[in-house]
Amino acid sequence: MGGFGIGSRNSAVVPSANVPIAAPPEVLKLPPREWVKANLFSSPFNSVLTLLTTVVLLAIFRGFLAFVFDPVRQWDSTATNLQLFMTRAYPDDQYIRIWFCVAVILILTGVSMAVWRAGSTMPVAAIGHKLLGTGALLVLLALLAPFSASATIQWLVAALAVAATGEVLRRSPGKGEDERTVSTLTVLVIALAGLVASLWVVPYGHHTYIANRVPRVLAEPGTVALTTKLPWTVMLLIVVTAYFAGRLMRDRLPANPIRATLMVLWLLAPPVLVYLVLRDPDFDIGHVVGTDLPIFLAYATGGAALLSWLTRPSTGEAGRIIAVLILLVGFCTFLTPMRMVVRIDMLMLAVFALAAPTFAGGPRARKRYAVGWLGVLGVASWLITSINTPSTVEVPGGFFIGGLSITLMVAVFTILFSFPLGIGLALARTSSMPIFRHLSTGFIEIVRGVPLITILIFFSIMVPLFLPTGMHLDEVTAVIIGYVLFSSAYLAENVRGGLQSVTRGQHEAADAVGMTTAQKTVFIVLPQALRVSIPPLVGHCIGVFKETSLLAIIGVFDLLYIARIVIPGQTEFMGSARENLLFVSVIYWIFAYQLSKASQRLERRTGLGER
Amino acid sequence: MNKSKFLKLLAMFLTIGVVAAACGSDSDGDDAAPATTAAAPATTAAAPATTAEVEVVQSGSLLDTVQARGTLNCGVSGSAVAFSETQADGSVTGIDADFCRAVAAAVLGDAGAVNFVALTASERFTAVQTGDVDVLMRNTTWTQSRDSSVGMDFGPTTYYDGQQLMARVSDGFSGSSTVADTDGSVVCTNVGTTTEKNIAEAALLAGAEITLLGFETSDEVYETFIAGGCDITTTDGSALVGRKAKQQPADQEWVIFPATPISKEPLGPTYGQNDSAWADAVNWTVYSMIIMDEYGVTSANIDATCATAEAEVARLCGGDGELQTAMGLSADAFRQVIKQVGSYGEVYDRNLNPVGLYRDGSANAGWLDGGLIYSPPAR
Repeated sequence: MGGFGIGSRNSAVVPSANVPIAAPPEVLKLPPREWVKANLFSSPFNSVLTLLTTVVLLAIFRGFLAFVFDPVRQWDSTATNLQLFMTRAYPDDQYIRIWFCVAVILILTGVSMAVWRAGSTMPVAAIGHKLLGTGALLVLLALLAPFSASATIQWLVAALAVAATGEVLRRSPGKGEDERTVSTLTVLVIALAGLVASLWVVPYGHHTYIANRVPRVLAEPGTVALTTKLPWTVMLLIVVTAYFAGRLMRDRLPANPIRATLMVLWLLAPPVLVYLVLRDPDFDIGHVVGTDLPIFLAYATGGAALLSWLTRPSTGEAGRIIAVLILLVGFCTFLTPMRMVVRIDMLMLAVFALAAPTFAGGPRARKRYAVGWLGVLGVASWLITSINTPSTVEVPGGFFIGGLSITLMVAVFTILFSFPLGIGLALARTSSMPIFRHLSTGFIEIVRGVPLITILIFFSIMVPLFLPTGMHLDEVTAVIIGYVLFSSAYLAENVRGGLQSVTRGQHEAADAVGMTTAQKTVFIVLPQALRVSIPPLVGHCIGVFKETSLLAIIGVFDLLYIARIVIPGQTEFMGSARENLLFVSVIYWIFAYQLSKASQRLERRTGLGER
Repeated sequence: MNKSKFLKLLAMFLTIGVVAAACGSDSDGDDAAPATTAAAPATTAAAPATTAEVEVVQSGSLLDTVQARGTLNCGVSGSAVAFSETQADGSVTGIDADFCRAVAAAVLGDAGAVNFVALTASERFTAVQTGDVDVLMRNTTWTQSRDSSVGMDFGPTTYYDGQQLMARVSDGFSGSSTVADTDGSVVCTNVGTTTEKNIAEAALLAGAEITLLGFETSDEVYETFIAGGCDITTTDGSALVGRKAKQQPADQEWVIFPATPISKEPLGPTYGQNDSAWADAVNWTVYSMIIMDEYGVTSANIDATCATAEAEVARLCGGDGELQTAMGLSADAFRQVIKQVGSYGEVYDRNLNPVGLYRDGSANAGWLDGGLIYSPPAR
């Protein structure tokens, strides 16, 4: 039982490479009529149940269709306000920045999919099956929806065409041994291409609205803010190109450096895109060269020298004392007026100094540690400078972005920041040091005992009043801090579950080879604990994404607030809340469902399901 | 062994505490001059950056701060029909938004130099107290507690609103119905606002027994009303008129009553208390729009009028500039207000006529026409 964590994975993977595993037992495939008989009408009771359920489902579906296709519904309120939904008031002439961000994310996605060999193959017949099902659903829709006769016929024709295509695909390959298969990625690209092509034909968001009571056309062809067809076409080409570039890289270059680079790029993408691209900070070069750069250089040289001495195995106890002294100095900097950068850098240096003995070793290890310090310091310095530089992107309203963009931004930053904090809290809670344990337990239990909305209202309304005069904390920043604290407390409990699943034998084995507590935690315990916690952690991420909708309650212009409050507040679209709520719930569902699918793939990949 | 470890840790934390305390007493002398060492303030403040650092606090009036900053941070609702709407491209329109622009035109000479900050009802006063917004134009009712204990000051009322009720004619209601006629009705309204309290008080006084149904958003109230879930809806008269114009179905006829509202809701600019220079600038922006409206001056004819104007109009046009310059504004400040935004009547008609609200015969007519819109003389 001792080597449970790593051992079972090896035993699961190794044989599959050499020994052919027996195929799973054949599931008997019944023809449709018999399948229905066996599953739906097997007994009188089952038959009644089936009929009743069908009637109820049809009634619900019909009610839903009657709502959607009611001529009273103001669906143009959704179409007209698509830009508001996505980014709120981002200036039209700067809109290329939004598309740039989308492109960067798509390039990273394409390359990553190639490098990690995403996608699989599926038989063509399966696609035919799905199309047939879609066609049947469309027939049902055409019959149940309150359409006029001509519209019903049009929908029926379209439905039958889809179903016929499905049937052809289903039957075309001979039922021989080798079924024709197709890559799921190809299917995905074809589906996306169809969607993009529809943009050129269907005018989704091209409506007029009345600003200052003077009719004005929203969809001016050519402005990048208001048209989506050209940008999305380019985006599709970009992601396909990125995928093939990624395949080239995968075949030509060693795997591990590419993967490490990609992961760093993914981690860097959110702050870089938000603070450099979307905000377009107006850097004061004189200030940067005169103040920020010298501070960075001083910490870079001084810190690297100090750390390379501290990571020398011979340094011993003196190193620890110095590390604690740096931590003290770091705390003391908060008691005197001083630049925030100096304080944060000092605290970061203290953390690196305290962790130095764990990474002690030969010249190569020491050099790597110093380079790691330079990297972290560089990113942090740049981030602090750009956060504190005013944005040149002028928008009406408090924050420079809104709608889906702020929903995603808050979710991503909450997840990014709450991961390290949550892991730290979990380690502290399982630590043998009573002070850490009690502090962490206290924090987790207090935060978990308070509803999230209370924390958010506290951070949005109360915290600005507590700050000293003249200090200003942006509402969105304050709220993200609240989210991070809340999320990290729950995340810590998930990770703690993983930590406790690591068996005692692992600890003892690590002790036996002479590892320090820190080394044991970082190299032995955490990797196993995190692997076990993957399912609850992904579930947690989905939760964080959906919880961002609470922003609507405190009046941040997120997706839900715009749908529920802002659009029904426009003179033209009074009373359109329900249409827009349906629209945003579809958006939330798409994201949450994709995350959940991703977690299932991740579980399969790590072999968690088989244990 | 465990105990000695614990003692060691305790000793370490005590040492940290002692050293920290020592650091604290060292720094007392430096605290006197925080402004000199404070980190880079956002000087241009084009848009409120996500800055978490210290900004230099300027003593003196908000007027100087706003003029130094070059933009006006104006708190609006951002989702109130005809008062401050957020449009599809993110721009803010409505009568509240236009008064924001008017203040910017007076103080900064540019009606476009407004940064609209959308605020919920609960965060609006905090936003003023923390300096996030310079002035609130967020249909805020002038009340005694807000004027005194909440720490706000109120400018001249720009819109006299009042709570009314709306019901179906088919249920026997007419324009001359009173609250007493609502006996036995189901009344829908928004929760958490004063409308709920007002209708309960009015029904109690009139001796009518009503059932209150509360909803989170206005849209839910009217969906229920249309579907017949309640007999009566109640909120501020301005909102009822807009809803009636927009949402009354073909098979129903709605009527608004009583003619005299059941509550007084004077709405106007709101700002932090004890800042006379700033209050004067905001108040006289509104007054200048009212006076110019009395003389029939509009954005279309302001240039021609100012060329030949006499007396009060001439003074507001900037003829004898010292009236405006003494307030810290430029001599032609109010001329810019009319030119770039419009007179009171223009702003009112532009924003409120489309939702069915007209000045004639209402409390918002000029005092010469029997309304309440009145301004002290400019001299």
